[in-house]
Amino acid sequence: MAATTITEPIVQVTGLRRVYGSGDAAVRALDGVSFEVSPGELVAVVGRSGSGKTTLLNLVGGLDALQEGTITVAGRDVGGLDEAGLDALRRDVVGFVFQSFGLVPTLSASENVGIPLRLRGVPVEEREERVALLLELVGLSGHAAQRPGEMSGGQQQRVAIARALASSPRLLIADEPTGQLDSETGLAVMALLRGIVEAEGMTILVATHDPTLVALADRVLHLQDGQLTQHVAS
Amino acid sequence: MSAVLAPARPRVAAPPRPRRLAVRTAQLVTGAVVLAALWHVHLDWTGLRELPGDVVHYLRLMFAHPDWSKLPYALQQTWVSVQMAWLGALLGVVVSTVLGIPAAQGVGPLWLRLPLRAVFAVIRAVPEVIIAIVILTVTGLTPFTGALALAIGGIGTHAKWTYETIEAVPGGTAEAVRAAGGTLLETARWGLWPEAAPELLSLALYRFELNVRTSAILGLIGVGGVGDLLTGYTQYRQWDAVGVLIVVVVVVTMAIDAVSGALRRRITKGARARVVDGTE
Repeated sequence: MAATTITEPIVQVTGLRRVYGSGDAAVRALDGVSFEVSPGELVAVVGRSGSGKTTLLNLVGGLDALQEGTITVAGRDVGGLDEAGLDALRRDVVGFVFQSFGLVPTLSASENVGIPLRLRGVPVEEREERVALLLELVGLSGHAAQRPGEMSGGQQQRVAIARALASSPRLLIADEPTGQLDSETGLAVMALLRGIVEAEGMTILVATHDPTLVALADRVLHLQDGQLTQHVAS
Repeated sequence: MSAVLAPARPRVAAPPRPRRLAVRTAQLVTGAVVLAALWHVHLDWTGLRELPGDVVHYLRLMFAHPDWSKLPYALQQTWVSVQMAWLGALLGVVVSTVLGIPAAQGVGPLWLRLPLRAVFAVIRAVPEVIIAIVILTVTGLTPFTGALALAIGGIGTHAKWTYETIEAVPGGTAEAVRAAGGTLLETARWGLWPEAAPELLSLALYRFELNVRTSAILGLIGVGGVGDLLTGYTQYRQWDAVGVLIVVVVVVTMAIDAVSGALRRRITKGARARVVDGTE
């Protein structure tokens, strides 16, 4: 498991509240959530569907607008960032992995992995080198030219993980990364994430409601109806 | 003997009867409008009896002994119509794509989407012939006027198809590109365009097919092409030449439809796709 003696947290969340809608139709997705994540930790956020996991991850990654509370990621105050600042945060600091993979079906695996590098303006040769390295890391060296439709769900999710790692993010946010996979493939994907934490020293915040996958996490945050109910070290 | 009472069945409220008043009123109003229209156009019902005979008569004039000497000129003018259609499609598709993408929800902001969509709706309401009549005062009676009318007239529907195609792209890909730090333009370029491009290319070819048909109609107002020729021959009652023109128009249009349809299938379904459902 990751070291726990790191001083400065990479993620600091304080008094986070998020409400969707207004009046009688208002839904309190998050209600006073506070926690910290240290560098090199793999933290699992668990809870039933609708408990606020995705909202929490989207807010931490700057994909959703902050209403109340503070979020600091790698020293950057997320609430104080404008649109360009949020783009830069997602481009340079945070990597995302989604349940539905989000791969471009008309592009090959290597082209999909290379998208964040194109956004950063990385030269072609350097980009190709990095993409090859990432595909090797996720065990898909022989599938570089395949399109998502020609790959299994587990392979597609590994391509998505390679894409999320392309810009060497300090924080990887994974929202139900095994949600569309069978239990064996899901466990393999989680083991891959665990391996990345240990090999690269990366921090991972992963939402899941699969209890078998939680065992691989350093810490577990339990969300229920938008509130943090338990805070457990594995 | 003790009596066993069956549990009381819960009373279930019957579903409300559908209200038919609005439907009946609409039917009556529609019927009244149709009758009023028939009354005002003064239809000569007696002429209907002679119609089949007249049709056969004119078909004989056109196709019994077609004047094949007119074939080269007919082909030449059909080619002018095809060029008009092609140029109109090219201009119209380029403008529609540029304006249609920001009109899509999730790409352009509301203040831009709404006026763009209003402009497309206004253009859709004006037929190409009317557009041609308006712009020929500037550009004159030339095939370019026809191409320009096709381009402008096509923007209304083609831009609508464009933003609808963009909106139909599953959101996951665009979200992933945005999550990778993509700006609005980069998200459109990498998250939406690769998925929408095949469908948009297919629609561009379909626009060309539609323009080939419409270009013949535009010829009727004198902008050149096969429609122009058809008007001339009809006015001078050269039915044997009209027959040749109709044959050329039908064959060329069907050939273009077949080639374009095959290309569209290949683009949207892949090289090995075959027609099995008969919808294409």
